[in-house]
Amino acid sequence: MPRWLRYTIVVGIAALVIVLMLSFRRDPHDIRTGTVNKPAAAFTADKLDSTGTLSLKDYAGKVVVLNFFASWCPPCKEENPALVRVWERYRTSDVVFIGIVYGDSTEKARAYVSTNGVTWPTVQDEDGRIAFAYGVFGPPETYFIAPDGIIAGRHIGPIDEATLVTAIDGLRPKATR
Amino acid sequence: MTRERALILVALVAILGATGWSARPHDATAAERVDRITSELRCVTCQGLSVKDSPAASARQMQGLVVQRVAEGRTDDEIRDEFRASYGDWVLLSPPASSWTGLIWLVPIVALAAGLVVAVGRMRPGAPSVAPPSAGELAVLRERVAREEALDLPQADGAE
Repeated sequence: MPRWLRYTIVVGIAALVIVLMLSFRRDPHDIRTGTVNKPAAAFTADKLDSTGTLSLKDYAGKVVVLNFFASWCPPCKEENPALVRVWERYRTSDVVFIGIVYGDSTEKARAYVSTNGVTWPTVQDEDGRIAFAYGVFGPPETYFIAPDGIIAGRHIGPIDEATLVTAIDGLRPKATR
Repeated sequence: MTRERALILVALVAILGATGWSARPHDATAAERVDRITSELRCVTCQGLSVKDSPAASARQMQGLVVQRVAEGRTDDEIRDEFRASYGDWVLLSPPASSWTGLIWLVPIVALAAGLVVAVGRMRPGAPSVAPPSAGELAVLRERVAREEALDLPQADGAE
């Protein structure tokens, strides 16, 4: 085997090992592709409680926690107590939670909301357009939108209280109201 | 030319003509465009299937969005880019041969080329590793071979 080829193979294997090492160090819940660090997609959708519509632009200047969920999704139920606790902690401040129903019927989502103590505004994403605009793979997924309207972070899978608080507090000093 | 050959020729011409006619460039219909785009997009919940082939609800919703965008007059690239903006190049079943994703296409070609170089190198007859024998050495060798052949002849005859 020529010497240059031997060196090329060794360098290639070393590069592969480095790439794999760097990849395995990343948090699999925090996939920074697609919409992260870009302006959050604007949307207007029907509220689940039939009290009208909700627009993301109404919450400009606030920290917005966007949570995609469904009643058929066990990890959504798993993360819900953490969401409820953090919501109770921040609900009177400059932090807004918005629940977005993903791939679920309105009736089942309403039942889920009432039995699981979801008191933050929730909207129905009938045709999946909101989920596609944010790059959702499946519920639960949570997006953190900074007061300037940029998606600052994304969490795939059930989220815990510490992750929520850390993400929210990291964005709060920027809030303008 | 026999009659059979003439018939075969006519049939071949007919087949080629029909194939060429069906493959002629033409403006794709909206349904054809939806089929083409959804076969290139990855179903985001099943991952191994295209949007066109997946029975998942999210794939049907993606297809619905593609249908709407085609009806709105968006180009294929604009529709693909809308999904790429949300999901990155991952959402395309065949990643574009540009930027880092180009490596996906390049690495197998480079590996194949390197393998060919190694294979050709192994097949090529190697250069002589020792110097040719001198005239004196050749004479000694010939004498030795002749002696060994003389010794082997009776045994070879006996074996026959």
